[in-house]
Amino acid sequence: MSATEPIVYLVDDDASFLAAISRLLRASGFAVKAFSSASDFLEQRDANAPGCVLADLQMPEMSGLELQSALARTRNPLPILFLTGHGDIPSTVRAMRGGAEDFLEKRASKEKLLGAVNRALARDAREREERVRQGELRARFGALTKRELEVLGHVVLGRLNKQIAADLCIHERTVKLHRTAITTKLRVQSVAELTRLTDEAGIFAASASTFP
Amino acid sequence: MTWITMLWPMVAGACLTMALIHLRIGIRRRPGAAHLLFSLNAVAVAVFSYFELAVMRADSPAQYLALLRWSDFAEVSLIVSLTAFVWVFFGTGRKWLAVLAPSLSCVALSADLLPPAKMTYLQMTSIRKMQTFGGATYTVAEGVPSPWNALFYLGYLLLLVFVVDASVTLWRHGARRRAAVVGGTITFFLLVSGGHSALVETRIIESPYLISFAYLAILMAMGIELSDDVLNAAQLARDLRESENRMILATEAANLGIWVRDLTRKEIWATDNWRALFGFSKSEPLNLDDFLNRLHPDERETVRQALARAIEGDGRYQMEHRLVLPDGQMRWIHSRGRVEFNGEGNPILVRGVSLDITERNKAEQETQLLRQEIAHVGRVSMMGQLASSLAHEINQPLGAILRNAEAAELFMQNGSPDLDEIRAILTDIREDDQRAGKVIDRMRGLLNKHDLDTRPLDVCELVGNVAALVRVDAAVRQVDLNLDVPRDLPFVRGDRVHLQQVLLNLILNGMDALNGARREDRRVSVTARLEGPQSVEITVSDAGHGIPADKITHVFDAFFTTKPNGMGMGLPISRTIIEAHGGRLWAENNNIAGAAFRFTLPIAEREAAAE
Repeated sequence: MSATEPIVYLVDDDASFLAAISRLLRASGFAVKAFSSASDFLEQRDANAPGCVLADLQMPEMSGLELQSALARTRNPLPILFLTGHGDIPSTVRAMRGGAEDFLEKRASKEKLLGAVNRALARDAREREERVRQGELRARFGALTKRELEVLGHVVLGRLNKQIAADLCIHERTVKLHRTAITTKLRVQSVAELTRLTDEAGIFAASASTFP
Repeated sequence: MTWITMLWPMVAGACLTMALIHLRIGIRRRPGAAHLLFSLNAVAVAVFSYFELAVMRADSPAQYLALLRWSDFAEVSLIVSLTAFVWVFFGTGRKWLAVLAPSLSCVALSADLLPPAKMTYLQMTSIRKMQTFGGATYTVAEGVPSPWNALFYLGYLLLLVFVVDASVTLWRHGARRRAAVVGGTITFFLLVSGGHSALVETRIIESPYLISFAYLAILMAMGIELSDDVLNAAQLARDLRESENRMILATEAANLGIWVRDLTRKEIWATDNWRALFGFSKSEPLNLDDFLNRLHPDERETVRQALARAIEGDGRYQMEHRLVLPDGQMRWIHSRGRVEFNGEGNPILVRGVSLDITERNKAEQETQLLRQEIAHVGRVSMMGQLASSLAHEINQPLGAILRNAEAAELFMQNGSPDLDEIRAILTDIREDDQRAGKVIDRMRGLLNKHDLDTRPLDVCELVGNVAALVRVDAAVRQVDLNLDVPRDLPFVRGDRVHLQQVLLNLILNGMDALNGARREDRRVSVTARLEGPQSVEITVSDAGHGIPADKITHVFDAFFTTKPNGMGMGLPISRTIIEAHGGRLWAENNNIAGAAFRFTLPIAEREAAAE
């Protein structure tokens, strides 16, 4: 987990508004980085840093909605908040469908603005933690051999050692050895925990049909 | 070969022909008893006519008597079958007569059972050969008449009474033609044949028997009946075909498919149209599962239940469901039908019609869409776009000013504020204020005289075009749009697009003012008239709530609005446009109800109008 301070990234082509809102957020105690275009932001941002994005919806070259989809494809998809001079319904709908944290008018009240930024940062922290946990889980599962993964697939389906041995044409003792290796590598105590962990890591979600 | 030896066999032939025809009909048609009885009757006559001829050519009294005996059997069977035929064919008559008359004949016949025959003559004395015209000869007998014969004639008489009575009853029941033709000829036959035979046998006249000859009348009557039947059948067939054609035409025109489900045989019969609708070929056999398999999977169970309910319940069903054809095409079907029950109240078949409503559903959806689009005509109009982009451009500097002011407040709360920062903020605020001002100036500049594409315009056409644009919107909002523009108004000089925007804006405002108004007050009028020698005045007036007196001077101020979602830009832009044309736009309240917006436009010069 990164311990660095979260950054509010501001993206707006209107220099004067960009300066004004940076001042307000800085004065409110946030770390702020301002960009005058979406492409500048995507090039210059710290690829792993926590934070959120506050972007104008209507910008030349790359619009706010395009920025949203570009961001969603990266490994660090920060939550995005949209600002607009005058919002129309279709783009609001698209933005919210794309997972935008909020949609604010440029003249929205300060409380509303700061509240939305705080929510977006909290969401980023939550999602980040979740991603780290997922990564760690996958690393643990990555340590399993192919055979161990195969045995694991049978174990989480609730099959007995004897049955697994018969299915895989190996000795029952070998199955027991594989099971010990699995529980050690995954650091689990019980089959129930093993099942929950496997489920959480989504190891067999895509290839469930491989196992009877 | 004489006319006698030619005529009698012809009579017999005619009888046999008719007998054959009725035999065939009697076997094929249900109920066929009347035809079979008539057939029997005609055969009896044919046989009788053979013996009649034989009797006429008898050479000895013994031979005469023997032949007479056989002819008596034929005659009695003629009487029995004739009685039965009348009984069945007419369906009327007295039962006791129908039993008694042939019974008496049969009793009389019993005298003939052992030779020598005693029914007609007790004793035969002599026979004579008589000659008649054309050189034909026949035999006449002399003998002692038998008392049995009186019994026979009594039976004959009772049969006559029975037939007359049955015919009269039939006539009263309304089958007048049959009663007159068949009943009449049978009566005629009985009178002539019976009367003549009695005269011959009592030797009042000397002549051969003419019984089978008289029967020709009945043959003729039955021939007429038969030809009527044939003609009727042909007419019925024509009518049936015609009505079927009409039905098919009607169902095709309505794109209706008809299907009948036989519940006992579990089969479905359907018109070609129905088969085409459901994607079946013209000849493949169908059952309920074939039908259900064509339905959309989500609706199979619902439809099956609706059909089952109709059979168990009130005997009717009506539903809308989807079909998925083998090629994946989807159709919407409206189905309704009725169950038919037999005498015991058990369902026997279900008749149904199915209608393709895919197009109708699609059209409804399109109309809905169109209506929604037109309802947005105000928003998507040029003025709406202009107002929207204006709001965006003005909100940028206004937003910046707001954020800067808020930031400055926060800095000031700090114990030792950074004065340089606050100075920078104030500079930015001033610059943003000027920027907002410039946006407004630019908007005014957009609409100055040089940007107008002015041409001579027909006011009537101008108003008509805009009215066409809002007509559907008005109908949806239940507002009457009244136009009163004289055709002979002179042309005005103006920019068509801009003036359309002004009119559109004023009419939509008028309709907005009618929200919540009663139906009879929902009216927007557009009128035009000549105002002095130089200009035309156009008025858009509504019967709505009017403008409050304290607000009437503000309605043309920018951002002034009374509508929840209004931007307050329509009227100021409209006024700018009209003033750029050299006219005036103002508002006033009507005397009775509502507001009126009036604007003037300069008349185009005569030469320009003639271009």
